[in-house]
Amino acid sequence: MLARVANNLFWMGRYIERAEHIARYLNVNYFSSLDAPNEQSQSRQLVLRSILFMVDNIEIDPQETLDEGEVLYDAALNPNKHYSVINAVKYARENANGARDLISTELYESLNKFYHFVLNYDATLFKQKGLYDFTVQVAESTAILRGKIRGTLLHDEVYAIIMLGVNIERASQISRIVHAKHRDAQQAMGSYTDQFNKSYEWSTLLKCAESYDMNRRYYKKTPTATTAIEFLILHPQCPRSVMNSIDQVHKHIDVLNNQNFTTKDSAAYMIGRTQAYYKFLRVEQIETNVEKHILEIQNTLYEIATKIEEEYFNY
Amino acid sequence: MSATTHPIFSSYEQKSELLDEIFDSEGKVKEVYQKLFELYSEHSIDDFAKLNNKAKASFFNQGITFQVYGEQETKEKIFPFDLFPRIIDAEEWDHIERGVLQRSKALNHFLWDIYHEKQIIKDGIVPLDLISSSVNYLQQMNGIDPPGGIYNHISGTDLIKHSDGKYYVLEDNIRCPSGVSYVICNRTALKRALFGVFNHYQAYTVTDYAENLLEIMETVKPKGVDVPKCVVITPGMFNSAYYEHSYLAKAMGVELVEGRDLFVENDFVYMKTIKGPQRVDVIYRRIDDQFIDPLEFKPDSTLGVPGLFAAYKQGNVCLVNAPGTGVADDKAVYTYMPEIIRYYLKEEPILNNVHTYHCSRPDDLKYVLENIDKLVVKPVDEAGGYGISIGNRLTKEEIETVKANILETPRKYVAQPIMSLSVHATYMEDTNSFEARHVDLRTYTILGANKEFVLKGGLTRVALKKGNLVVNSSQGGGSKDTWVLKK
Repeated sequence: MLARVANNLFWMGRYIERAEHIARYLNVNYFSSLDAPNEQSQSRQLVLRSILFMVDNIEIDPQETLDEGEVLYDAALNPNKHYSVINAVKYARENANGARDLISTELYESLNKFYHFVLNYDATLFKQKGLYDFTVQVAESTAILRGKIRGTLLHDEVYAIIMLGVNIERASQISRIVHAKHRDAQQAMGSYTDQFNKSYEWSTLLKCAESYDMNRRYYKKTPTATTAIEFLILHPQCPRSVMNSIDQVHKHIDVLNNQNFTTKDSAAYMIGRTQAYYKFLRVEQIETNVEKHILEIQNTLYEIATKIEEEYFNY
Repeated sequence: MSATTHPIFSSYEQKSELLDEIFDSEGKVKEVYQKLFELYSEHSIDDFAKLNNKAKASFFNQGITFQVYGEQETKEKIFPFDLFPRIIDAEEWDHIERGVLQRSKALNHFLWDIYHEKQIIKDGIVPLDLISSSVNYLQQMNGIDPPGGIYNHISGTDLIKHSDGKYYVLEDNIRCPSGVSYVICNRTALKRALFGVFNHYQAYTVTDYAENLLEIMETVKPKGVDVPKCVVITPGMFNSAYYEHSYLAKAMGVELVEGRDLFVENDFVYMKTIKGPQRVDVIYRRIDDQFIDPLEFKPDSTLGVPGLFAAYKQGNVCLVNAPGTGVADDKAVYTYMPEIIRYYLKEEPILNNVHTYHCSRPDDLKYVLENIDKLVVKPVDEAGGYGISIGNRLTKEEIETVKANILETPRKYVAQPIMSLSVHATYMEDTNSFEARHVDLRTYTILGANKEFVLKGGLTRVALKKGNLVVNSSQGGGSKDTWVLKK
């Protein structure tokens, strides 16, 4: 496969995944704040700040009052904001165009329809009453795309590269979401004892990752800081966890890497080492300094992605 | 059943001076269209409006679009597609197929000759001037033997049906003829919209084009190569034919590359893959001659590959089509096609040529200047329908301008009698009815070493503006699915 086209496929995967996480973050945070059990969690300003932090690490001065319509529009449909959903979808399609001969007609057609849906979504309608419909449709479309990727492509190098992109992006978005919600929980504590650990924001966090129900099934309790963080970062069976994503990344890099014994400066080596590290990391260790661990995850993912680009996409 | 008895054809005007593909001179539906006409008559005109939208959506969703650059934003448009297919019966097709194959072979002989011994000129069949003054004659190709001896692997032949009921060739396209992907898309779109009609006709498939193209590319592999690595090279995703390039690569299962994906080392061509360089043996290039290699041709071209031509000269890579084919498909060579066919193949031409006046010949020039209102004047080296003037549509001032242009560089112009393209029922969105519009037919012929193939079907292009004769998509033309019936 051409190195340039591999790069296109990798980024197509990343942008599809990115669009989904941003859309769901908007949806879940906004709508769960409406009937949150306490005033802090109901605060619209908290939600808007959280959104800006999640999409682009933007920190807002506590004195400033944000405009709801503007923040939501920026994150969803503003073509001039690099982090908007509309741009993620545009880039996903542009990258798919560059690799159009390698992907199936079915996958391209779904992505193309998705692109036109987002591109033609009416901004006024969105601001007035479209937030729910828009974000739900984006999440649905990305699920269809994942289905088409899995179900209509040869599971060869093309698939492996797309899935590397998808999983690196997923781990990275999940870590961003955990980061943002961790900050929210510090501001919107629970009402009774052990306020931070029992904040309502932990349930919201899990819903942002479509992992709430499975968290309940696994732990059989209302989510807490400990169970939410453990589930989304370390649990190998949670399909959205950082651990699960890294496992996938490892599996897919093996398709590209044909050396049995990887050299120390290869992407495969870095991924294997990262996988081993998280496999034996425990939630108590993360809880000693959650922020530090999250930044570490993000840095490692960044280094892995850069390494993959250097090694395979350098053209 | 006659033309006007059914509501969907109520506004169909039949003109006696034009050949109608569907209705005979008495206004009766021709036999081959009868079943289709019955089936279509079961629909109301509003059904067609819906089906038309369905077909458009099919193209749009598949991303079979081209870009229109506006002042503010770039818009995507689809090529207009018509719901009423053109049907060609087995006998008629057989004639066309033999004819276009004959022309393509004759052109290949001609190209070999003019880049080698130039016997046809020595024998006085065509004038030296034909190649010596042609901008498309590539000196660099002199004496080069292309792998398999093939120059025009892919030929697109444009045909019309004149009012005398005969097919005439209007043009041979042997540089990078495009449009074949639309043949396939049109079939897909028609099947999606009106699947029922296919049960009643035995039409040949058109999806076998790509596999035949790949087989033919494999026959012209460089010496010493066992299984050749074939690729398609495109100028990039912003090219208006990018969809076609990606379609062909996908359908052949080969890589779609850009110039920057390839490099040349020691006269061998390699592509940059995720596992390092991989040798490339046969390149179907959709980049014009002048852009393929900045070292040999246009030095500022960023679309091509430096050193590609040197590798070609060494016989280490095959280019499909060969560079320099443009010399043989210009409108000046066209006029010698009957002689060229007789000279190389010792056969009579199967398809007619339109009589052509060369403005470079004094007698012809005189005739052209005196009869400009009855003629179509064309520049010899323009593609895409540009620069054509049709005599009976011109104002007095325009006639004077055309005359002045011709007198300035007579060699640049040829003129032909105004041919009347046949008309075909075509759905018109604005009036929501079927109307008669002019059509032509582009066929696709591929030649390899000891293998040849003509796509059974082709692109029926239709001029959507009333009375317009120019069918090129760049000039607002649409297209129709084209069925070739089995015997």
